[in-house]
Amino acid sequence: MGNNHAHSHHETDVTPDISEGGKEHLAKSDALWRLLRPVRIKLLFCAILSALGAAAGFAPYIAVAEIARNMLGSQEVDGNTIWMWVIIGAIGACLRLLLVFASSRLGHYADAELLHDVRVRIVSKLGVLPLGWFRDSGSGAIKKRMTNDLEEMHQLIAHALGELVGAGVAMIVGFTYLLMIDWQMSLITMAVLLVMVVCYRIAMRSVTTHMSRLLAAEGRISAASVEYADGISVVKTFGTGGRIMQRFAAAVKEHTHAMLDWVTETKYSSAASRLFSSEMTVLGVVMIAGLALVAADKLTMANLLPFLIIGVGLPTSIMPAIQGGQGIRKGRVAASNIEELLNRTALMEPDQPKKPVGHKVELDQVSFSYDGVAQAVDEVSAVCNPGTVTALVGPSGAGKTTLASLLPRFYEVTGGSIRIGEVDVRDMSSDRLLSSMSLVFQDVVLLRDTVTENIRIGRPQASEEEVREAAKAAHIHHVIEALPEGYNTVLGSGSGGLSGGEKQRLTIARAILSKAPIVLLDEATASLDPDGETAVQAALAELSAGKTVIVIAHRLHTIRNADQILVLDQGKLAEKGTHNELLARKGLYSRMWAAQQKGESE
Amino acid sequence: MIRKLYRLWPDHGILLRLGALHAILAVLQGLLLGLLVPILRALLQIEPDFQAAAPWLIAGTIGLIAYWILTIIATPVGFSASMDLAAGLRHHLMNYVSTLPLGWFTDTNKARLARAVTADSGNVAHLAVVIGAPAIVSMLVPLTIIGVVWLIDWRVALVFLVIIPIALITLRRAGRIASESDIELEEAAAEIAGRAIELGQAQTVLRAAGQGRSGSARMREALDEHRASYRRGLRRSMIPDLTYTAVVLGGFVGILALTVQQLLSGSLTFTDTLVVLVLAVRFLEPLGNLIELIGALRAMENAVVRIQSILDTPTLPMAVNASNALNQASIEFEDVTFSYGGTPALRNVSFQCRPGSTTALVGPSGSGKTTVIRLIARFFDTDTGNVRVGGIDVRKLDPAVLLNDIAIVFQEVYLFDSTIEENLRLARPDASREQLERAACAARLDEVIERLPEGWNTRVGEGGSRLSGGERQRVSIARAFLKQSRIVLIDEAASALDPENERAVSEAIGRLARDRGRTVIVIAHRPATLAAADQVIALEAGKVAEAGRPMELRQTNGIFARLYSQYERARNWHIARHSDQNT
Repeated sequence: MGNNHAHSHHETDVTPDISEGGKEHLAKSDALWRLLRPVRIKLLFCAILSALGAAAGFAPYIAVAEIARNMLGSQEVDGNTIWMWVIIGAIGACLRLLLVFASSRLGHYADAELLHDVRVRIVSKLGVLPLGWFRDSGSGAIKKRMTNDLEEMHQLIAHALGELVGAGVAMIVGFTYLLMIDWQMSLITMAVLLVMVVCYRIAMRSVTTHMSRLLAAEGRISAASVEYADGISVVKTFGTGGRIMQRFAAAVKEHTHAMLDWVTETKYSSAASRLFSSEMTVLGVVMIAGLALVAADKLTMANLLPFLIIGVGLPTSIMPAIQGGQGIRKGRVAASNIEELLNRTALMEPDQPKKPVGHKVELDQVSFSYDGVAQAVDEVSAVCNPGTVTALVGPSGAGKTTLASLLPRFYEVTGGSIRIGEVDVRDMSSDRLLSSMSLVFQDVVLLRDTVTENIRIGRPQASEEEVREAAKAAHIHHVIEALPEGYNTVLGSGSGGLSGGEKQRLTIARAILSKAPIVLLDEATASLDPDGETAVQAALAELSAGKTVIVIAHRLHTIRNADQILVLDQGKLAEKGTHNELLARKGLYSRMWAAQQKGESE
Repeated sequence: MIRKLYRLWPDHGILLRLGALHAILAVLQGLLLGLLVPILRALLQIEPDFQAAAPWLIAGTIGLIAYWILTIIATPVGFSASMDLAAGLRHHLMNYVSTLPLGWFTDTNKARLARAVTADSGNVAHLAVVIGAPAIVSMLVPLTIIGVVWLIDWRVALVFLVIIPIALITLRRAGRIASESDIELEEAAAEIAGRAIELGQAQTVLRAAGQGRSGSARMREALDEHRASYRRGLRRSMIPDLTYTAVVLGGFVGILALTVQQLLSGSLTFTDTLVVLVLAVRFLEPLGNLIELIGALRAMENAVVRIQSILDTPTLPMAVNASNALNQASIEFEDVTFSYGGTPALRNVSFQCRPGSTTALVGPSGSGKTTVIRLIARFFDTDTGNVRVGGIDVRKLDPAVLLNDIAIVFQEVYLFDSTIEENLRLARPDASREQLERAACAARLDEVIERLPEGWNTRVGEGGSRLSGGERQRVSIARAFLKQSRIVLIDEAASALDPENERAVSEAIGRLARDRGRTVIVIAHRPATLAAADQVIALEAGKVAEAGRPMELRQTNGIFARLYSQYERARNWHIARHSDQNT
């Protein structure tokens, strides 16, 4: 399963694994432990089975060694004893097979379950985070938590744990047996392994530094290739791909250099660790030392044999224990990333949510600051009555969009309050708050689902008929009918075939279906696609009828007829009134109006 | 597998050398183990005979030293091989995709490319070295040992020999199932990744629908499906995995029993029995390791397949005697039909643009305007009919010559993450300061540059994110000026720009169009652009509905007249209360 088997080869290997996860920061060790809670029992059994399996695995080897000792010890070959050992060996082999297999299965099942559990937890956590978080972190971050980070833990749960315990037990059982036979030879064998571990440690000493350099280089390779592909039409039409390709080449080169530096630095230690982890080396050492002892009459040939059989195999069995450390390190980093997300402060939900009466929107001395220093919105007060249109205008950076995003609680006001139907938005449950308003912004969000479901999400209990009615009201019905599978066409799989304006109208249909009494609208939406513009505009008119409409306006002539216009300047409410009132004031609005009129006529 | 790897790297030398080195190491390893036979024969006696063992011991020592030296050599060779392989593969991939038609670069393919160039290339190179070596060892050591055992007792050797094919057959099966499960699981993971992105983007919608805490039904399905396919994979691989291990262990038990039986029946000396048993242990261990390698091998194979599928994408066919010069800048469509796969995007489209003229393309969205532009720049080849530039079929033109004479101003302008100046210079790397400034001025980019803190040296951010859409389009128009190509294809921004940018962009497009030295085709959305065109071609559902001078067409009641008044109306749209709708 998974792609992380690279570590399971059994030779000391310090080739940097490029799939090595994230930068190493101080991972809270207990984050991992807490995350593992739902599968702890499974993992415990996984470890126990692995330990038992490792112990049983020695039976065949011990059997061979004992048969050898039995035959060498006495000239009389004792058939019964030998057969007994054959049976012990066979049983041990079978037990090992079953136990290790069961352990590995258990580990993988635990992995499957943990992935599911943590993902469900992440999804439900995301459902209560402040909406501003999504804007700030981006969907890529969610994807990383839900896929990459969790996959980093795969190695640890499904492999490393069982292997680690198994290797530990193998080492203890193996050495105990060898010690019982001859302590001198045991120490010599152990010494070889110790040298190997030391060399490996030295070789991996600077792993963090080098790994982060390699990761950075790989990030640049990735960025350069994406950039090249994104800009391919520019590259091609201007025939100067070479310049961009250079950046890619430089990144590849840097990656190679980073690797080379590492390899050069650890040339000796890694070669040494490779040497000492080799069976041949152990064999050589055991033979040389053993024969010397035999020659000196300190050891019998019979007692040398177990070292040839078991001792030589030890580096192979303990390798996972040494390399397992990497898996644990990766798992820890990933676990702390995930926990960081799970521990984020949720949007404050009221203990006793209140129900709004009517849909009057009141802004009461509303202030907001992104950084706590500069006020993006500064003490703005206004009342928007049901059935009226309120326009937010002002130069770019005046705070129009910020003010609008405070209503659905994308961000929490830092001063004053916003009330809907006499209830502070913070005293409403966020589901109720969001279902009371339709947000029609420029960024269209379609789900990868059928057209019907995409509209129905506006009101999940709506009937098929109501969905069609909404589509008709949004002037999108005939477009949907023309799709290959009509209302059952799955959107967003690249073949949806809807234009920008059509997608826009689909989301308007969704909003119409929701019957939300408040409409928050970005005027630019109306002119997203000039070809379908009139249809979009008609759809918007349908949506806005009789609602409390708040519109962010860029082109002033579109909101001439608004019931009130709020003119924002540097976060402050500079002017307020109808189009004619504001023109008469000869303030900011009338200057903006004049400038735009001049531009239009040019 | 090996053949697939071979196809990936045109330069086999390094793989061959590395493979040979590890093969030698493996055989050496087997032979060293084989030396145990004469050594143990001499020594496994009541009185060990060191005299007889001495030459073998010396041979063993020499062999061990050789083995050490080779291992030390192999380590850096392996590293550098892995690096060279990765770097070579990455360059190969990028060079290859640079020859692909522009139509290939969809979002999906871009994601595939990024993955192939980074993770897949790295993993394949890494695994080819770190998995390749132990795989060779795991295969060759057992074979060498069989040879050695054969010398002692052919019957036992036969048992050894029988184990290998059985083991390999079961291994193949285990590997195939592992690979299938891997692909299935990967699809499930990709689905989750897609839904995770959607979850972020659609969070407000989901919450308003009361699905905030549970995620969409599709999300829950994706999570369940992943767990199910994970478990399915585990279930399916259970028998094959178990069988393989059983074969290896069964082999061990079989050898043990047979040897002991041989010994007890007197046909094997007890020394040889011991030697065979020692070798049997060393024989089965590498074989047992193969199952652990197989997962990694399959993962590598899947990565290789992903890379290869990119390298197998057909390039645009190149004419043998491609023309390498354009005499004039006319554009001509003759009975062109083209489809992206489903219904044709263009049907029997014919029109002509004289050199130096300006042609406006209009039509509802999806009518094929963008496709026309793409076919001129040869993002794709037509299904039937000809596209001619300068009187020559674009398929018979050297692509470099064609693109050298075309500048495209896209609706969505992509800028590279470097300075404004660098982005402009793409159009003409050797442009002088004066040329740069003239182009900037013509595109009204100069006022943007003036406003930016670091002027020409301002970095534009990834994709140009630090500039607004209108500003990016101005950079793109400046490129077209700077390039001085004779053909300019423009996809006028449809979305609303802020008033200032809108004015600047349409003015700049006007300047491009007015220059009689340029043939301009513009997908137009604005009345001013339409009015300035020499001819208008109105498309509807992939067909030319009308063509002619704009003033003439406005008089008719055709599609152009309708669109024109719609554009005018759209600009006068205003939001209002329901009561005074329909104004």
